[in-house]
Amino acid sequence: MPAPLLQLTGIVKEFPGVRALDGVDLVVRAGEVHCLLGQNGAGKSTLIKVLAGAYQPDEGEIVMDGEHAHFADPQAALAAGIATIYQELDLVDGLSVADNIFLGHERSRFGFSRVSDSNRAARELLVSLGHPEIRPSRETGSLSAAGKQIVSMARALSRQAQVIVMDEPSAVLDPDEVGGLFRVIEDLRASGKAIVYISHRLEEIRRIGDRLTVLKDGRTVAADLPARETPTSELIALMTGREVSAEYPRRTTPLPDAEPLLVVDGLGRTDEFEDVSFSVRPGEIVGLAGLVGAGRSEIVETVYGARRADRGTVTVDGRTLRRGSVDAAVAAGLGLCPEERKSQGLVLDEAVYRNISLASLPRFSRFGATRDSAERSAAHEASRTVDVRPDDPDRVVRTLSGGNQQKVVLARWLLRSCRVLLLDEPTRGVDVGARSEIYTLIRTLADEGLAVVVVSSDIDEVLGLSDRVLVVADGRVVHSGPSAEIDAHNVLDRILASNESSHESEGDAA
Amino acid sequence: MATATAPPDERVATTGPVARLLKRPEIGALIAALVVFLFFALTTETFATPAGASTWLQTSSTIGIMAVAVALLMIGGEFDLSAGVMTGFTGLTVGVLTTHWGLNIWVAIVVALALALAVGALNGFMVMKTGLPSFIVTLGTFFVLQGIDLALVKLIIGQVAIQGMSNVPYYDQPKKLFGSTFEVGGATIHVSVIWWIAVTIIASWILMRTRAGNWIFAVGGAQGASRQVGVPVFRTKIGLFMTTAFAGWIVGMLVLFRTSTVQSNTGIGQEFIYIICAVVGGCLLTGGYGSAVGAALGALIYGMVNQGIPYSGWDSNWLKAVLGVMLLGACLINNWVRKRAENAR
Repeated sequence: MPAPLLQLTGIVKEFPGVRALDGVDLVVRAGEVHCLLGQNGAGKSTLIKVLAGAYQPDEGEIVMDGEHAHFADPQAALAAGIATIYQELDLVDGLSVADNIFLGHERSRFGFSRVSDSNRAARELLVSLGHPEIRPSRETGSLSAAGKQIVSMARALSRQAQVIVMDEPSAVLDPDEVGGLFRVIEDLRASGKAIVYISHRLEEIRRIGDRLTVLKDGRTVAADLPARETPTSELIALMTGREVSAEYPRRTTPLPDAEPLLVVDGLGRTDEFEDVSFSVRPGEIVGLAGLVGAGRSEIVETVYGARRADRGTVTVDGRTLRRGSVDAAVAAGLGLCPEERKSQGLVLDEAVYRNISLASLPRFSRFGATRDSAERSAAHEASRTVDVRPDDPDRVVRTLSGGNQQKVVLARWLLRSCRVLLLDEPTRGVDVGARSEIYTLIRTLADEGLAVVVVSSDIDEVLGLSDRVLVVADGRVVHSGPSAEIDAHNVLDRILASNESSHESEGDAA
Repeated sequence: MATATAPPDERVATTGPVARLLKRPEIGALIAALVVFLFFALTTETFATPAGASTWLQTSSTIGIMAVAVALLMIGGEFDLSAGVMTGFTGLTVGVLTTHWGLNIWVAIVVALALALAVGALNGFMVMKTGLPSFIVTLGTFFVLQGIDLALVKLIIGQVAIQGMSNVPYYDQPKKLFGSTFEVGGATIHVSVIWWIAVTIIASWILMRTRAGNWIFAVGGAQGASRQVGVPVFRTKIGLFMTTAFAGWIVGMLVLFRTSTVQSNTGIGQEFIYIICAVVGGCLLTGGYGSAVGAALGALIYGMVNQGIPYSGWDSNWLKAVLGVMLLGACLINNWVRKRAENAR
């Protein structure tokens, strides 16, 4: 095996409130396609930015070509031979293809562009990538996503990059364009370049990858696995498995024998999920387990009315909700803590109490004006209930840790006195250590009589937290029963079985 | 879009000259300029005469010099609201230094240039260092300069207009450069038209043929990406702000030496006209797209409308309303053309 071209050891990167990378090791050799696998939030994007020189690691070392490297800025990484192709292709639409390729290191004499020179050099690069049909003088904005990707790669080659990092390059491509991309990657590999390929599509990793490294919770949980032979179940277990086993607060009191509060019957949305039925009693926690893309988030968002159901009904306390109406759902007592707290749930630059009272403003307003003191004290009380730390209602939400941000969202719905709580990935972006707190809080809320639905791609989390579990695969409920009667392996088996039975097995695994 | 045959593969298609022309940002302004010209030429007696043309060309020229500089800045993703008042500021500086303090006229002109470049650099520096939008930063400098033009000038010379400029020693020398006229086919052409054409050519050439031109498109279109690949974002943006200030100085001198006077309120309110001309000429407010020639054509349209309205016997107060309609129309058309271009991919 050749000596490593690029070696990362013990990389740590901290942001206020969260440790995004917590000891990442990565070894990349020349002439290989090295896949980086991990769920959303595992630290892939942060690692890419460290490689690209956009972030400087707090700890750990980078060795490139046998020498210690420190990338003070993106240009230093480029100069060292690492080029990064981001998912949102960072080309300038208004410039020509050749200008984009040589942007920042223009071929010029005394500041004057040598257009014919750079066009010729650009053409050579594009030909070497197997795409002679892209004219160097063409305006980049008029290219397709696949064409832009080729231009990005030409840019990387123009910098004599030895390592090319590609962040989910297939995400913007059609299936047949992916074939073209893979041909280019294979040529690059044959010419001795190293490719770091980030994707969560197992099928692609099997097709193109040589070796792979799995990240979870900001750590390398497995390195140097053969990309083609490692069994899918092992990979999924590595990505979803819990390394630090958290304490799950089990039910202490027996479930009261009440009528179901939330009843979902035959819910369906074309091309997303079909025939989803379940019911939740007050005090009960029901979990939805499944991989990304299985339709879990779509299901809870449809229950909440944020997506309009095509079929089926949602009933709260005997009353059927109007389809596609968040207002009706909230009025009936539903509350959603969305998956993307930062973009969907919180006003990051507002104070804690403002975020909490957001859903209850009518209560604090008279003639359209809000009564600030009442709003503030009620919100403060709610934030104490969930134990937001520090206990300062005026603090800006952005400065809180992930776990405390999640508590703010929970407090919002408590203040709204909601009766059914839908939690989508409640511990995403929450430090491993702080998760048990969220679990305890969720259990306490349920014990107080709330009906709770929990969605998570962390199978252990769903099983540990919920009383009953629904396993979702490919938009269908493939299993439903008490959580105590099934373990993570069984859940994975059922997901895999359904994947194999549906002949178009995508292998969407994270 | 405009090619008659449907190419089999868009990536190998050779775009016809017509289609390529239609993709240029300034094409709309060119057509509009022709329409406006024909309209006033056919409906009024004086518009297309040499005397008429020299009037609207002169109006277009001073606006055009600024519009071209503002267009470069807008392609780079920023605004400069202090551009208009800069024309008054530089003229007043020269006027006060020479008529009141008796400084040599050439020295005063150089001092005005240095002050203008300093203000431009300060604009750029504040925008880049604070991260505040350039709209706010230059709105601030706009009002500061406006106050200086009025209060400081009044404090020093006791009035709000420069007088006795033509009695200043060596006045005739810079007047040749900034305030002379010459005859072309019966029309008296002001030297500002030459400046306008020269500025447009140089700006176009910088945009299309130099490294700095690439950088201007890059910082306006994708600032983060530009920084990553090593484009000197800071330098480029400061240079752009200094360019509009420089253009303000040119126009300040042109106005001063054409009329031999300058008033404290010169240039106020013009900043938006420059932006309108740049947008009519195809610049996007979001940056990364536009052309210098387009902005020059936008100014030509402005100059023609500005003179055409009184020639038609209409109340010239309608000018602003017409400008507003033109701006909206240009934006809608640009928007539509770009959408079509994107769909055609």
